[in-house]
Amino acid sequence: MRMTDELIEQNNNKREDLSEENLAVYEDFLVYVRTDLRIDEHASEEVLMDLLDHLLEGQQYGKSAAEVFGSNPKAYADELIENLPHEKKRSSALFAISQVAGMAGWFSLTYGVINLLISLFKPVETDVSLGHLLSLLIVITGIGFVGVVLFFKIIRSTLFKPKKKPLSGYVTAGLAGGGAFAVMMLAVILIPEFGPVISIEWWMYTIGGLLLLAASKIFSGFSRK
Amino acid sequence: MASRSQLLKGVLDACVMAVVEAEPVYGYELSQKLQQIGLPDISDGTIYPVLLRLQKNGFIKGEMRPSASGPNRKYYFLTDNGKEELEEISEEWRQIAAPVSELLKRGGIQ
Repeated sequence: MRMTDELIEQNNNKREDLSEENLAVYEDFLVYVRTDLRIDEHASEEVLMDLLDHLLEGQQYGKSAAEVFGSNPKAYADELIENLPHEKKRSSALFAISQVAGMAGWFSLTYGVINLLISLFKPVETDVSLGHLLSLLIVITGIGFVGVVLFFKIIRSTLFKPKKKPLSGYVTAGLAGGGAFAVMMLAVILIPEFGPVISIEWWMYTIGGLLLLAASKIFSGFSRK
Repeated sequence: MASRSQLLKGVLDACVMAVVEAEPVYGYELSQKLQQIGLPDISDGTIYPVLLRLQKNGFIKGEMRPSASGPNRKYYFLTDNGKEELEEISEEWRQIAAPVSELLKRGGIQ
């Protein structure tokens, strides 16, 4: 197992020993650091582990997370992030590609399944123009990039609030996800057909989707090496 | 207050390196030692940005080791560069510490 994965697993196990109050502060801190894509993942997991060990040891002597992170945990997290080594550009690019491939994969898979269901009742139009397909790919890539950035932004905006409203975060994220999917569906309908025409059956979309999801997994693995 | 914490920030790097030089320590131990020495206003978390900065500059390095209390901990060691840096800071500190203390005693100025 990779060193970073080991650290993440250890963190998951050790975190259970935190008191409820300390866990709430620490988990906000953890999500805030992990959703910052600029920093090196291994280095950030190391410092998260250091802080968790510190909290666990302090907890035995009645210390609270507030005593460790100070009165402004967000400012403290920013100070830590500033001192962490930056993620290599190659890793960030591979991560972004993996996210976009994942999104396109799910889209293609869903589209394939929808076509299969429709084909049970009536014949499905399988002809698609290359121009249409290419435009669609560009739209999905764009939405993918914006989506990842927006999703992380929403998550980060819900952290370090005294009175949590996790539901509103989930609702916003859900709406954003649904919205993105709706835009993609609209693109399918609205982008005109142009260029050479090819025939794509439902199973080709499904296989294509699975291949894209596999590629996403592989890219995600490379981005974390 | 703000200027006082800035003053402390300036010498904290050297203090951390001095503790690590005496004996490799892990984070919690380090914060306890600094508090025991009597440095005021050091909250537990203060040391981690310092540790990261010192690592980034190559003055200290971390290594996983089993701790006295059981699980593996990241212990910090001073590197050769760190030793040189600490030597330099200590020398600079020696040059300013005595005159500044004398000056701040007040009434010392004739």
